[in-house]
Amino acid sequence: MAQNKMTLSWREKSVLRVQNWIGWLSFPIWGSAVIAVMRWQFGYRVDNLAEVRKRYEQIVESATGPVLLCVNHLTKFDSVILNWSLASLWSYFSDFEKFSWNMPERTRYRGHPLYHPLCYLGQCFPIERGGSRDSVKKSMDKVKYLLGKGHIVTLFPEGRRSETGRIDTEGYSYGAGRLINQLENCTAVCVYLRGHNQKGSSSHPPRGARFQVKLDAFQPTSVHKGLRASRDIAAQVIEKMNQMETAYFAACGQ
Amino acid sequence: MNQEEVFNKIVTILSKYSKADIAAENITMETSILDDLKINSARLVDIILDFEDEFEIEVDDDDADAVATVSDGVKLIMAKL
Repeated sequence: MAQNKMTLSWREKSVLRVQNWIGWLSFPIWGSAVIAVMRWQFGYRVDNLAEVRKRYEQIVESATGPVLLCVNHLTKFDSVILNWSLASLWSYFSDFEKFSWNMPERTRYRGHPLYHPLCYLGQCFPIERGGSRDSVKKSMDKVKYLLGKGHIVTLFPEGRRSETGRIDTEGYSYGAGRLINQLENCTAVCVYLRGHNQKGSSSHPPRGARFQVKLDAFQPTSVHKGLRASRDIAAQVIEKMNQMETAYFAACGQ
Repeated sequence: MNQEEVFNKIVTILSKYSKADIAAENITMETSILDDLKINSARLVDIILDFEDEFEIEVDDDDADAVATVSDGVKLIMAKL
């Protein structure tokens, strides 16, 4: 396991704690509103909701270290649908650490009258894609800090939305591997989330979309060290997600 | 191994990964690996692992983060040889 120096100041940690506290306190209002909009305005449904929530509960309860959600990425609503799928409103309110943090690209929501406040309340902090090394490192340090404090974080290991609609097994990022390599006993929860009619990537799922969510948890390890270990672990995570995708399409008869 | 030899080997490695329309002879010490050669951060890790193999050195995460230009790569390798 590799370690590197964290650069978060006391103030930066406090900003995250305050965000978490405000998000939790107001969760009954905005959480209910978001779910209501998804269910009744957009007509979204998750087919295996009870099964997914039970499995998530089991994984979180049995984890002995940090829990990192590694999710495939097809639409900008993925993290919203994911959090809706993984636990009930009451479950989140009683244990808000289960509500996963997320790192959207700053330009996707900054200044938007609805998305910006919702992203703040919904435990997002921005990452600058293609930003300076310092800014990316700062974001990664925030993730490590949150995971170390028992929070759960969502990461899209492909590094961006899949252009082809399938897991990108070639051009993926090594960020997930690096994080897991730097954390002791980190459980990677691979999540495959897809609407039945979702062909490729899109801004948001079509109205009336029905989703399947599959979870598979494991603790990736590597015989290598440093960067080579990060690459090896990232490859294991992508391979697991690729297997889940293959199983999804096999079950659909495609 | 002198700096020029290191530079030439680095250019050979970078040429394998570059997606930019830039000829190897136009790569200079000031060339930005990410911006000018259009190499993403994951491939930069692959490049640094190639440096490890080629020069028989070990590069840790923090040192790897500091590599942005060809010059950074040359300096890193020279310091570890």
